Amino acid sequence: MQGLLEILVLPLIGAATITAFKGLMPKRLAGIWASFLVGVSFILSIVADVRLSHLSASHRVVTGAIWNWVTGFGPSIHFQLYLDPLAGVWLLIITGVGALIHVYSIGYMHGDDGEPRYFAYLNFFVFSMLLLVLAGNLAVLLIGWALVGLASYFLIGFWYQRPTAVAAAKKAFVMNTLGDVGILLGLALLYLHYHSVGYQHLFAIFSHATPGSAFFEWTAFLLYLGAMAKSAQFPLHMWLADAMEGPTPVSALIHAATMVTAGVYLMTRLYPLLRIAPVTHELVAAIAAFTCIFAASVAFYQQDIKKVLAYSTLSQLGYMLLAVGVGAYTAGVFHFMMHAFFKAALFLAAGSVIHALNGEQDLSKMGGLWRKMPWTMAAFLAATLAISGIPPFSGYFSKEAILGQTYNSGHYILWGIGVFTAGMTSFYMFRLFFLTFFGKPRDEKLYEHAHEAPWVMTVPVVALGVLSVVGGAIGGWLNGWLAPVFHQYAGASHAALESGPIFGTVIAVGLAVVAFGVAYWLYVVRQTAPRAGIASIPGIWMYKAWGMDSAWMAVVVNPLKQLGVGVLAVERGILAGVMGIADGVQAWASDLAPIETGYVRRYALSIMVGVVALLAYYLIRIGFIS
Amino acid sequence: MFLVWLLAVPLAGAIVTLIAPNAAAKGIAAITSILGLIGYAGLLFIDRAGVNWSWIPAWGVRFHLVGDGLSLFLLGLAAVMFAAAIFASDQGAGRSYYFWMLLLEFSVVGLFSAVDLFVFYVFWEVLLIPVFFLLTGWSGEKGKKAAMKWLVMNLVGSFFMLVGIVALAVIHHQDGGAFTFEINKLSGMVLGPAVGSWLFFAFLVAFAIKAPLWPLHGWMPDAYGESPAPVTAVISGVLSKAGIYGMLRVMIPIFMPQFREYQMPLLIVAAIGLIYGAASALRQRDMKMVTAYGSLSHMSMMALGVFSLTAVGLLGTTFYMVAHGLMIGALFLVLGMLENRTGRRSLDDMAGLNHSAPRLAAYFLFFVLGALGLPGLPGFAGEYMIIQGLVTSHVVFAVIAGFVLVVAAWYMLRVFQAVMQGPAPTTGIKDLVAGQVAWLVPLAGLVILIGVWPAGITSHAVPSLYQAMHFAAAKGGVR
Repeated sequence: MQGLLEILVLPLIGAATITAFKGLMPKRLAGIWASFLVGVSFILSIVADVRLSHLSASHRVVTGAIWNWVTGFGPSIHFQLYLDPLAGVWLLIITGVGALIHVYSIGYMHGDDGEPRYFAYLNFFVFSMLLLVLAGNLAVLLIGWALVGLASYFLIGFWYQRPTAVAAAKKAFVMNTLGDVGILLGLALLYLHYHSVGYQHLFAIFSHATPGSAFFEWTAFLLYLGAMAKSAQFPLHMWLADAMEGPTPVSALIHAATMVTAGVYLMTRLYPLLRIAPVTHELVAAIAAFTCIFAASVAFYQQDIKKVLAYSTLSQLGYMLLAVGVGAYTAGVFHFMMHAFFKAALFLAAGSVIHALNGEQDLSKMGGLWRKMPWTMAAFLAATLAISGIPPFSGYFSKEAILGQTYNSGHYILWGIGVFTAGMTSFYMFRLFFLTFFGKPRDEKLYEHAHEAPWVMTVPVVALGVLSVVGGAIGGWLNGWLAPVFHQYAGASHAALESGPIFGTVIAVGLAVVAFGVAYWLYVVRQTAPRAGIASIPGIWMYKAWGMDSAWMAVVVNPLKQLGVGVLAVERGILAGVMGIADGVQAWASDLAPIETGYVRRYALSIMVGVVALLAYYLIRIGFIS
Repeated sequence: MFLVWLLAVPLAGAIVTLIAPNAAAKGIAAITSILGLIGYAGLLFIDRAGVNWSWIPAWGVRFHLVGDGLSLFLLGLAAVMFAAAIFASDQGAGRSYYFWMLLLEFSVVGLFSAVDLFVFYVFWEVLLIPVFFLLTGWSGEKGKKAAMKWLVMNLVGSFFMLVGIVALAVIHHQDGGAFTFEINKLSGMVLGPAVGSWLFFAFLVAFAIKAPLWPLHGWMPDAYGESPAPVTAVISGVLSKAGIYGMLRVMIPIFMPQFREYQMPLLIVAAIGLIYGAASALRQRDMKMVTAYGSLSHMSMMALGVFSLTAVGLLGTTFYMVAHGLMIGALFLVLGMLENRTGRRSLDDMAGLNHSAPRLAAYFLFFVLGALGLPGLPGFAGEYMIIQGLVTSHVVFAVIAGFVLVVAAWYMLRVFQAVMQGPAPTTGIKDLVAGQVAWLVPLAGLVILIGVWPAGITSHAVPSLYQAMHFAAAKGGVR
């Protein structure tokens, strides 16, 4: 089993022990214990990956069937684990970035009533996410898939006394259930035809299949529906913005670095299926590009530091799935890794800011904080440069690879959208950076009390900031590391990193630099207020995320509620009918009952039994027995 | 002989309860239910042999009980759920309450193991009486009305079934066979088209009323709404399975051509029930009613599994019966604890109870997640197999079933969040006491075990389903 089970089970042990003994252990211990276990998982993950690299490139896979999940006719599904280089990358990020965020949380959650509960949930999340990426078939993947959704539900609604948090948690869960159902139907279809949902079995078949049948398109689409929900692709994206109700380290780990990239993982994993479902494959790219620019536009006018980051996550997920959609699989994974570094850095730094300002998240109360929090500012700046695609920071390399390959594959419109969005990204991210750390403090009182975070928080932030600067250097290594995965089956001929045309790089970087300049001029030189322009027509639409929430209410939620109302009306009719019959029988029974005893129901009962017996008797006598 | 033990212990316990003092009644019932669990463990792990005694030789009636794969886990469900319900019952409910509970357990065990239609029918009828008295004696204001509806509707159903049973035996005799009520022997018959359809619907109506399935669920809202939580738990958790079990045990082997003929209308009606229950649950304001209508929707899911007429669909239903029984029963027991503590049931009147009762909230959420079909818990495995069956036969119903799962997540979380989350009220409630944790922990453990290892059940259920389908296959079969 090569230690796979241990990697998986350690965080689960953490969640279980903390839940069981949280009354007995000192509050601080929960965080230390949880961080320790994830740290050990990280070390074991490195060991597992190193061992994996010693296997021959033609078959670089470790599997382990643990037990039968379902047997019988039809499905015989094993509870199977599976590690290949692709899963190995996710393994390192989940446990590595996860461990850093656990450590950070020790500081961030200190003093909260629910501290142990928080760490139990966080460990449970790591377990679920590991299950998702270590699954050897779609059924086990779906279990992990749903459990990460549950962990996300727990943590979004962590402060369960806040009605907004509770509503956000429910929305996230229900929207993700829609995705789960997509995967469920997709795997049921695959099972029907191939009597297996195991990756190796299915992919071997897909490699020899002829592309384009409706069956493959539907199956791929249903599985993509799962990816859409988890990776918050338009129009299933709203839950992610609301998910910011959770504690900020949760936003960093679950709603930026790991869980939301599960869709990228699944679609990359399914590249042999995407080859034979070309329409769905194009759809992935188109929706991704749209999500990319759509979310970037929404980020322009947001007033809440976390909301800006949430929409930027949406936009970056769009880039990753754009890479998947154009077949640039390595570039997608590359961007996932870089994004895990810089977005986790951004969220954790934002968490430090929020922590320093006593929970304030409104940009109009910030400003000038660089003097108070230089380390946090430095990490935030590094990550902002990375996400904006400024060379030589990490995001530049991965984004360039995606855009270049989008161009090379002939998706010129999508390329244009991607390049333009790169400029938008630079603008809204520097807007956020300047509004938070530069200019005059907009709330003197909060500013006075602001302070740099304790080292237990600053060290992880700075570590992630450093990774955001230098992370891009691993591109070459990643290319080689993932090559065996993409050579295994047909369908990933352009998976390796490619560079695009020079003029593309020049335009993208140029736009980013210009956008930086505009943001600098607006928010540092002219000291524009955060709310400026928000009342204009485009401002309102962009701030309100183009009214998608209301659209969902009008198109899906309210009709369903109306259906409920209609059904209740029918139900009253049915019940009234039954009541009429029951009353009739009761009246008839009480007519026959001697009035003086009054035990109507007893007589009714005996009469019923008698009637049945008599009818039966006569049927037997007259009707059947000759 | 553990099957006889399982049957005799509740009956003996019931008689002892009747002559014991009121104060001792719960203790006796609790001991009886534990003895039942021990008997079940014996049945599961030591000896699964049934009994086959001659009863009424003139009519060929045999007292024939089995503990095969179809019955085995429903018997376990009954043993577990009755134990939990008795533990959760009111200390002061009095001896006749426990008498009726134990008598109900006796009749359910008989029903789930009888393979002679006459014996099956006897237990089917006996079962009505304890429920009737539990509804009249220990329920809310409308309890008597609820009891009357239960009795009238179910008697109508069982009347149809009686006619069907007698007709089957007589036809078998007229065709030159012995006079018998044994399901295995009746299964080989070929029925004429008209007779076959009439008898098919006679059984179908009886089973659909008991489950209940839409639109024959008229007795359900009052019975679930008015009965005390432990009674609701055994009705929804155990008795409702009798209807679906009847379809698998009696109808699949005998009426396969009729199932084939009416498959599409049956699927459509079940799908309507599925949506109907879910949509109602979405709008109910009473936490017990949300769960009741959710359960109505789940029963339709089981019916869809049967009507898919696929091996995997039938297997899914067999499994889902057990999974659903455990979770919905436990959920009603938890709702009962909440009602006891708050005196309320409306979602509008409660909020934030998690704050004062975190452990109760945790178990509540656990069973809510089970009921909404969270992958990893047993409901999901059952739903998956049913959907696999529907994908195999008519994919459009798989899509409908899938999207009802989304609505299920919505209405189940709605209940949990309305009760447990939001701003904490000024007066809290008492959290779980040790006695409650003592039976909730094993129940939750059992749910997790079945959820991560459904194969433990499915691998045992398969041979019996093969047998049921052996006859079906001869008549145009199950895919």
